[in-house]
Amino acid sequence: MQPTQAPNDALVSIRDLSYSWGQRKIFDGVSLDIPRGKVTAIMGPSGTGKTTLLKLIGGQLRPDRGTIHYAGKNIHALSMDELYELRKEMGMLFQSGALLTDINVYDNVAFPLREHTGLPESMIRSLVLMKLEAVGLRGARNLMPSELSGGMARRVALARAIALDPSMLMYDEPFTGQDPISMGVLVKLIHDLNKELGLTSIVVSHDVKETMEIADHVCIISAGKVVGQGSKEQIADSDSTWIRQFIDGAPDGPVPFHYPAEDYRVDLIGRIDLNQRH
Amino acid sequence: MVTLFQKLGQETLKGVGKLGRAMVFITHALTGAADLIRRPGLLVAQLYSIGVLSVLLIAISGLFVGMVLALQGFNVLSDFGAEESLGVMVAASLVRELGPVVTALLFAGRAGSALTAEIGLMKATEQLSGMEMMAVDPVKRIIAPRLFAGTLSMPLLAALFTAVGVLGGYFVGVGLLGVDQGPFWSQMQSQIDFWDDSVNGFIKSIVFGAVVTGIAVFEGYDAIPTAEGVSRATTRSVVYSAFAILGSDFVLTALMFGD
Repeated sequence: MQPTQAPNDALVSIRDLSYSWGQRKIFDGVSLDIPRGKVTAIMGPSGTGKTTLLKLIGGQLRPDRGTIHYAGKNIHALSMDELYELRKEMGMLFQSGALLTDINVYDNVAFPLREHTGLPESMIRSLVLMKLEAVGLRGARNLMPSELSGGMARRVALARAIALDPSMLMYDEPFTGQDPISMGVLVKLIHDLNKELGLTSIVVSHDVKETMEIADHVCIISAGKVVGQGSKEQIADSDSTWIRQFIDGAPDGPVPFHYPAEDYRVDLIGRIDLNQRH
Repeated sequence: MVTLFQKLGQETLKGVGKLGRAMVFITHALTGAADLIRRPGLLVAQLYSIGVLSVLLIAISGLFVGMVLALQGFNVLSDFGAEESLGVMVAASLVRELGPVVTALLFAGRAGSALTAEIGLMKATEQLSGMEMMAVDPVKRIIAPRLFAGTLSMPLLAALFTAVGVLGGYFVGVGLLGVDQGPFWSQMQSQIDFWDDSVNGFIKSIVFGAVVTGIAVFEGYDAIPTAEGVSRATTRSVVYSAFAILGSDFVLTALMFGD
């Protein structure tokens, strides 16, 4: 399937991307566009390298082949200084939150501001409280990361990710391992932040229901290739058996239930070579 | 046979690769010096946790090493009626060798292992990766202050170890064994040379500090980000530090006192 957006609408455009980890090919000629100002969901089974894709976009990993352009700039052709400058425009929400564990919530959110802005402490305080208010955790500012639940840690990480007012936010599996209430809170936050701050969001997930709720544009990756790309409605109505299996969560289908293995009977009783029997 | 050679080659390549990574990494960390001049607070915080918190361990160890040196030295020297040289013997051993070397070994166990575990865990919990995505270079922000703090702390700790060791030798030699304290101090003063002994010992301790801290931060940064990976990295950090200290001590001693 061809990308549905014209490239000049795309904030991030990925062309012919290949990346291997050791012997394993994770991406094999992936091309896709992340449209500006929308929520793009990248979905696929576990282990298809969705997190790797975010790290490639953030310039933390280098592709074997292909290019990633962010707002017209080839990320992997930038110098280290230019790359760090560019990352100020990107926020990333790690699955674990990646909060600094030896400072409290307030200082975690203040961290990027203190590192980059040189603002006076009084102004940093106002900014931190605004960001924490946006995620509903202004009252939790004095807690340490170890005192937070998983969902709260992710919300603090989100407040920290928007501290520098980025133009793009990347979410790595934001819903995994969350209880229904936290999940609902995160779905609402991602949706509202994207709308109110005019962000471009990339949500990497395999939680189909929640992701489809907030996504404008969906891209499905499997076995190193893009298997489906389009608007939420196009994907939901897709007649590809593979996409159907993924969206409906069917246990067996084009993606087999069994990991490739040799024949079950042979595996259990061993191969019997008739010529060798006496 | 072929597989043996293959394995040998693989291991060599792996070792050379790691050495290369370490050099690139340390060079990168050294460029963080500029940021430390702008923000000395980062360095001070690390000087506290790496240096100041090691003071008690180093002082107590120094005291005991000095006391043992005096006891052993007295037994040998008294056979030759040379108890008065006890002060020189204690001071020379401490200033030239035991001060820098034992301090460095203790430092590797106390501060080096802690650095490796801290940085390894920060990597395992994606804190370093998270910093990169916040456009903060973790090598400059996290590694550089620790590297400089370790290198600066070591010579001071070694000096403390030596000073307390001499005092320990004095308590045992003069206080317990009845050596005359006049020659104890005066011979020490006349025999220990500032340049040949003190400065050479000082240079050793700076080298050991840089080597131990460099190994510790690199092993942490290069650790496999799992519980087992961090535990192995911490072990490697202490083992490699011990080898590096003793090996470079031989080389430095040969260069300084060889002729």
